[in-house]
Amino acid sequence: MATQRHTLIPGASFVDPKVLARIGNLELLARILVDGFINGIHKASSLGVSVDFAEHRGYMPGDDIRRIDWRLYARTDRYYVKEFEADSNANFSVILDVSKSMGFSSGGLSKLDYAKFLAASLTYLANQQRDRVGIVTFDSEIIERVPPSAKHLDVVFHTIDRAIAGRPGLFGDPLFRMTEFFKRRGILALISDFYEEPDIILSAVKQFRAQGHDVMVFHVLDPAELEFPYDTASSFEDMESGERIPIVPENLREQYKKLIEEHTLALAKSFTEQQIDYAVFNTSTPIDYALFAFLSARERMARVR
Amino acid sequence: MAFLAPLLLLGLAALAVPVLIHLTHRERGQVISFPSLMFLERVPYRSMRRQKIRNWPLFLLRCAAVILLILAFARPFFTDTTSLAGTLNGGREIVVLLDRSYSMGYSDRWQQAQAAAQEEINTLGPNDLATLVLFEQNAEIGARSSVNHASVYAAIARAEVGANITRFGPALQLAKSILEQSEFTEREVVLISDFQKNGWTGDEAVSFEEGIRLRPIPIDGTDASNVTITSVAFEREPFSAAEQVTAMARLVNQSDLNVTNLLVALELDGHEVATQLIDIEASGTATVSFDPFIVSEDQLRGTVRISDDALLQDNMFHFTVSSGQLVSVLIVKPDAATLDSSLYLENALAVGNTPTFVTETITVRDLNTDVLEGRSVVILNDTAPFDGPTGNALVNFVGTGGGLLAVLGESVRWTPEASDVLPGSFGTPTARLSSRSNVLGYVDYSHPVFDIFNAPRSGDLSSAQFFQQRPFTVTNPESVLARFADGSVALAERRIGQGHVLVWASTLDSYWNDLALKPVYLPFVHQLAKHLGKYVEPTEWHTTAQLLDVASMYAARGHRLEFGRDDPVAVAPTGARLPITGTDSSVFLELAHQGFYEIHTPGAVVDVPLALAVNADRSESDLATLDPQELASSVTGRAVTERLGNLVLHERSPEDAEEQQALWRYLLVAALFLLTAETVLSNQLSQRAR
Repeated sequence: MATQRHTLIPGASFVDPKVLARIGNLELLARILVDGFINGIHKASSLGVSVDFAEHRGYMPGDDIRRIDWRLYARTDRYYVKEFEADSNANFSVILDVSKSMGFSSGGLSKLDYAKFLAASLTYLANQQRDRVGIVTFDSEIIERVPPSAKHLDVVFHTIDRAIAGRPGLFGDPLFRMTEFFKRRGILALISDFYEEPDIILSAVKQFRAQGHDVMVFHVLDPAELEFPYDTASSFEDMESGERIPIVPENLREQYKKLIEEHTLALAKSFTEQQIDYAVFNTSTPIDYALFAFLSARERMARVR
Repeated sequence: MAFLAPLLLLGLAALAVPVLIHLTHRERGQVISFPSLMFLERVPYRSMRRQKIRNWPLFLLRCAAVILLILAFARPFFTDTTSLAGTLNGGREIVVLLDRSYSMGYSDRWQQAQAAAQEEINTLGPNDLATLVLFEQNAEIGARSSVNHASVYAAIARAEVGANITRFGPALQLAKSILEQSEFTEREVVLISDFQKNGWTGDEAVSFEEGIRLRPIPIDGTDASNVTITSVAFEREPFSAAEQVTAMARLVNQSDLNVTNLLVALELDGHEVATQLIDIEASGTATVSFDPFIVSEDQLRGTVRISDDALLQDNMFHFTVSSGQLVSVLIVKPDAATLDSSLYLENALAVGNTPTFVTETITVRDLNTDVLEGRSVVILNDTAPFDGPTGNALVNFVGTGGGLLAVLGESVRWTPEASDVLPGSFGTPTARLSSRSNVLGYVDYSHPVFDIFNAPRSGDLSSAQFFQQRPFTVTNPESVLARFADGSVALAERRIGQGHVLVWASTLDSYWNDLALKPVYLPFVHQLAKHLGKYVEPTEWHTTAQLLDVASMYAARGHRLEFGRDDPVAVAPTGARLPITGTDSSVFLELAHQGFYEIHTPGAVVDVPLALAVNADRSESDLATLDPQELASSVTGRAVTERLGNLVLHERSPEDAEEQQALWRYLLVAALFLLTAETVLSNQLSQRAR
């Protein structure tokens, strides 16, 4: 993983050229119809001007006579107007969990730093596609919000740079509040470690889906959270609540691994049912590799659809 | 059941320790921060292990041991009165009054008294209460009412003979107040003393109520011989620039036996400088005069000591002497004076040694500045040389602190310069030969010259007849100290600079009056000279139990103490340092021991050490005794007391009850037993676990 460099835009250091080189030829396409203003690469919710034919409809007074399909008129002696599918640019927003547990690191990058790389890379990619980019950070409350805009790349990077894992986190309430921000359908990337019951997570994320957003969920976990590699009996302290319990790791490693696997599986199942892309990102995995795998899988899925 | 230290029961919270150890099984070691314990808390294995108490007997054993230890430290005792059956019968309360005045140091009297007091304690039953009161001039409780007889016994053994005199009154009053609060009906005061006659005047007004007995235990002094040094007097004479002092010790033989070859020694600054052997008849006195010694301005510590007899305290007498106690008087008479014009004056001043007046008589033509050098007082006997250089010299003399007495006789003449010195002006003599003689009609007794005549039968100044006098007109009426019966001024005073001028409007010989023939003449002349010479009588020694105003002592020596800066410290004869603290000028030091006290001012720029000689009150040396039964009768109001045998239920103090029951010992033994069992059991368990 690249080390952070000092640049003019603080958050830009999270955009690693190595990552971009890997994913640069991919497209972050909305899998659903999105609302936009200008021509872009996403399918728009309305018909517009493009090369893709959509349908014919009867001429109505007021329609532009240049759009009348004269060949069909020749065949049917009726006026039909030719409709094309519109391509649009999209609103791309990152929802970044900055709760205290995200600050955990068992040696390498903390989960939050990994999530910052992830958020910065996705934002850059979206901006390159002329999408409007924004970000919302939250823990138990909404901390910062940058509304999506084509000019907000710098602001988003700044916000990413400033984010610190300071307070205990909460799902539900902050995410419900965020539904008010995303009125226009767009692409949302939710990055978190999801230490919450799957039902609560799903009910919160489902709101975005119900609003018509294309939601991508990145579940960031440290290898220590997945493997539980501790040996000596110690007191384990909850980073968020401060609660301590004495634990003999060797006695409960297997049970723990089983529980966390069940948790990710439950999340994967719930999200898939809601047509939400879900991926577990292990912070020991290089981000370019992980992101490449995710985006290319997403592209394949888009073709299938 | 009650507890002497119930707060210690809070220690029962310590029970939580083994409980927590059993319940939490908290592992020691590092603390690992983990993002969330969400999944770890769901693991069933760990929670089962935490909550299980693995060995109930061991757990209960530990809890019981802790409970017993805490109960033992809380000092439990039974308050139920049925458990105190022993207190129901035969209880009594006694107060032992133990005389520790310094006469008890005679021979082995103190040991006898201690033994008698301890014997009294030994005869007490287990539920009897005893109080020890130690008394001399004052009384203090040596051990409070207690069934703990061992503490009273130890207090008797610890007590020491003091340095004060016997006074039975305060001790009996204290015993009375203690026993009047007692709930016992059998109450007794045991008075152990040598019963000196001086300790009981009969005016003490101490009367015990019905039911309080007084049992005197006289300590018998079989051999009551005793020689006392009662005082030391000093005779001073000028000697070069210093003074030559002759010390005279007065000794009293208090016994009925003749004393022969008694060695009397004088020590100065710790060195023996003179010894004498003397004989004193039975009940007689003797005065020992030692060879004179020289003193300078520094304080000289002296002790007169006689060879040891049975009472040590009065075998020595401490004092301090320093120079500056001579009053030099210059009598100036007219050139044509008769031979006896100053005869009475000179003879009167030659008598006495407190102070010693050093007189010199000159005629007025010999008066000059050199003659005035070193004088304290100048008496112008019927002359007034206030004009010319002599007059200036006299004004200077008074201004720098000298005293001037102008005696207005026949030959004195008025000059205008006299008004610069005298408090008024005088006229020509008035003869009263034709009419009734004059007497002194008004005297200002508040003035230092006359204050010794203030008390009744201390000299009748009006007994002198005045036949002739000088009319004297004062400029300030308040300066008049005495007037004749006709209202004319007899004595007037004026203050010039640091000195005083007195004018006597008649003569001090027998020509104009017969004052010189009256007994008041000598003290009157002495008072005039002392006042003019600013003489302050020195305190060569103090008496024990005296309270000393340290600040005024320093003030008398011309030093002003500033508390907070000078911080005077007294070093007692025992070597103990007694800090003297205070915020104003009235701070007292109690002189408790015989010997030399030293006062230092370590905080002052110049430490002015002050030595104080302290002697025990000599009235205690008179070992004559009174009849103990007589004292007992006058206090109790009856010759024979009855022994009252009523049953008393006495509510004892919690401390006494706890000490007698001593439940804590059993609890402690039980706790130790449980802890031993716990050790064995836990060892076995751990071996089995391996």
